Amino acid sequence: MTSTTLRGLGIALFFGIVIWVLIPGYVPKPAFLPGFALPPDFWPRVISIAGLVFGLIAAGLGLAGQGTPALPAEVAEDDTPMGTLLARLGLLVAAFVAFVLLVDVIGFLAAAILLTGAGILLTGERRLLAWGAGLALILPVCLYLFFTEALGTQFPPGLLFN
Amino acid sequence: MLNELMTALQAVATLQNFLIMAAGIWGGVIIGAIPGMTGTMAVTLALPFTFYMDPVPSILLLVALYKGSTYGGSVSAILIRTPGTASAACTALDGYPLAQQGKAGKALNMALYSSVVGDFFSNISLIFLAAPLAILALKVGPPEYFMLMVFALTTVAGVSGNSLLMGLLSACFGLLLATAGEDMYGSFRFAFTGDMQAGLSVAPVLIGLFALPELIKLIVFRNPPKARAMALGDDRVSGKEFRGVAKTLFRGSFIGVILGAIPGIGPSAAAFFSYGSAQRSSPRGQNFGKGEIEGVAASESANNGACGATMIPLLALGVPGDVITGVMLGAFMIQGLTPGPLLFETNIHEVYMLFIGMLLSSVLLLFAGKFTMRIFTTIAKIPPTLLSPVVLLLCLFGIYAIGNSMFDVVVLLALGLVGFGMYLLDIPTAPFLIAFILGPMIEENLRRALATSRGDPMVLLSSPITWIFAALILFVVALTARREIGKANQRKAEAQ
Repeated sequence: MTSTTLRGLGIALFFGIVIWVLIPGYVPKPAFLPGFALPPDFWPRVISIAGLVFGLIAAGLGLAGQGTPALPAEVAEDDTPMGTLLARLGLLVAAFVAFVLLVDVIGFLAAAILLTGAGILLTGERRLLAWGAGLALILPVCLYLFFTEALGTQFPPGLLFN
Repeated sequence: MLNELMTALQAVATLQNFLIMAAGIWGGVIIGAIPGMTGTMAVTLALPFTFYMDPVPSILLLVALYKGSTYGGSVSAILIRTPGTASAACTALDGYPLAQQGKAGKALNMALYSSVVGDFFSNISLIFLAAPLAILALKVGPPEYFMLMVFALTTVAGVSGNSLLMGLLSACFGLLLATAGEDMYGSFRFAFTGDMQAGLSVAPVLIGLFALPELIKLIVFRNPPKARAMALGDDRVSGKEFRGVAKTLFRGSFIGVILGAIPGIGPSAAAFFSYGSAQRSSPRGQNFGKGEIEGVAASESANNGACGATMIPLLALGVPGDVITGVMLGAFMIQGLTPGPLLFETNIHEVYMLFIGMLLSSVLLLFAGKFTMRIFTTIAKIPPTLLSPVVLLLCLFGIYAIGNSMFDVVVLLALGLVGFGMYLLDIPTAPFLIAFILGPMIEENLRRALATSRGDPMVLLSSPITWIFAALILFVVALTARREIGKANQRKAEAQ
């Protein structure tokens, strides 16, 4: 089975889950609807059925050897081992999750400084580390001051600094 | 109309507005000149800041960024053969060879003059076409609006990415995401958490989808563009050279206006069309691609010619034709203005202020381009490894500031990952965003149409206007399918 077929099947599966699991569970029908008004699940159901059909067509085209490739050319030609690519993506996702969790503990500013630093390190930048460190420290502070002083935004201070 | 325009001129001609537009143009030129940074990113990053501004200056800032970045895209195309925006891809074909010949400054100047001419034409067409179209739009009902929006969505799906099918699937994802939250009769759909009862805001979705995937790509694949910026060299465009391309400039501007006004087409297609047209009709057609200044003029006049014209369907019909006007629609909504025919009745003063501001921004574009030219070679060298985390930071602070909500920040990060996933699966993101923005309007018009017809779906084909849109939808689908079949046959032939 080609990646094009798998992509189509994956998309069809997603819309199938929406039709048979999410809409019945998370789109409650009201007890009364005025006149010929349509129920709230009508539109999501129409979209999901269209998505399901398109997904199956995409899978069918893949099986028939037609359809566009499931990966962009530059990704398909990248010779970096898959494990390395997944590890980098995993680290980035971990950095995002850590940022969201840390905001409540150390506050928005400190968490943003850490995330910026992590972002620069994860890009593989080693030549301009001093610039990167300066940027990760100074820019968040400048933005924080701009938003709090000029625009009056209140960022979460975090438990440690509250 | 003249009196209203004069009143609007007085209101726009303030130092504050000039500074805002100048900052927008200048910022747009710089951002567009940085490889990997697009006009969409410039406009989306500025969106959170507009939340704190008055309606007209905030829209003028976004329009200025759009125009500036469209011209700025030509800078990296000419100096390092890396188009800053997709619409500058044709500019690189002749601009870079000119730079190799020591004429980078000349190519940049021609790109600037062409952009300003195209932009001016575009603004004039906006002023004269938007109001009549809005008056016409007042006479149509929900079925016509529904069909118009489906047409816009189909066109965007057809021209984005490599496959109509993937474009339509992307639109389905966007439409589905837009159904989250409270519907028009007060039912809560897909409210997995308390925060989701209000639905997802436009800003985190579009910024996450368009700004963050670039950072994620850089981190995962680590292949930033590596190219050396060329020196400016000879930078004078002679009167003879300018007169020699005048016809191409006007034709390019006209093409830009026409293609820009059709929802879903936009500056990139206009630039390619204009370039091809100029190549066929020019006596120097055989020099195109080898450093012909007329090629730069054709591409740049068309892509900037489309900028103002993309505002025509947005202002007159409330339908964004591309991602950037989609962002602007979000900005209008944040400011409490609803683009569409009623805007010309309820906020005509603001509309005229916008028109005047856009005309002034054409002049500012000329000055900003001239003053920025000397630092272009430096701008083009900024490493993306430092730049992308800065973009992330701007997104985080901006999105939190709009709604004072960590939920929006979570949506931003999640949509960034979704955008990256769509890139990996070769699913275009533009139809997703346009569908997400248009989704509530499409649903509302469909439900109203069906309610008034007592559930008869034939109401969607009940008037000549709906037939026209249905025919256009079929035409777009047939045209795209034909193009894709041709490409598939070509791929097969190359494989054998």
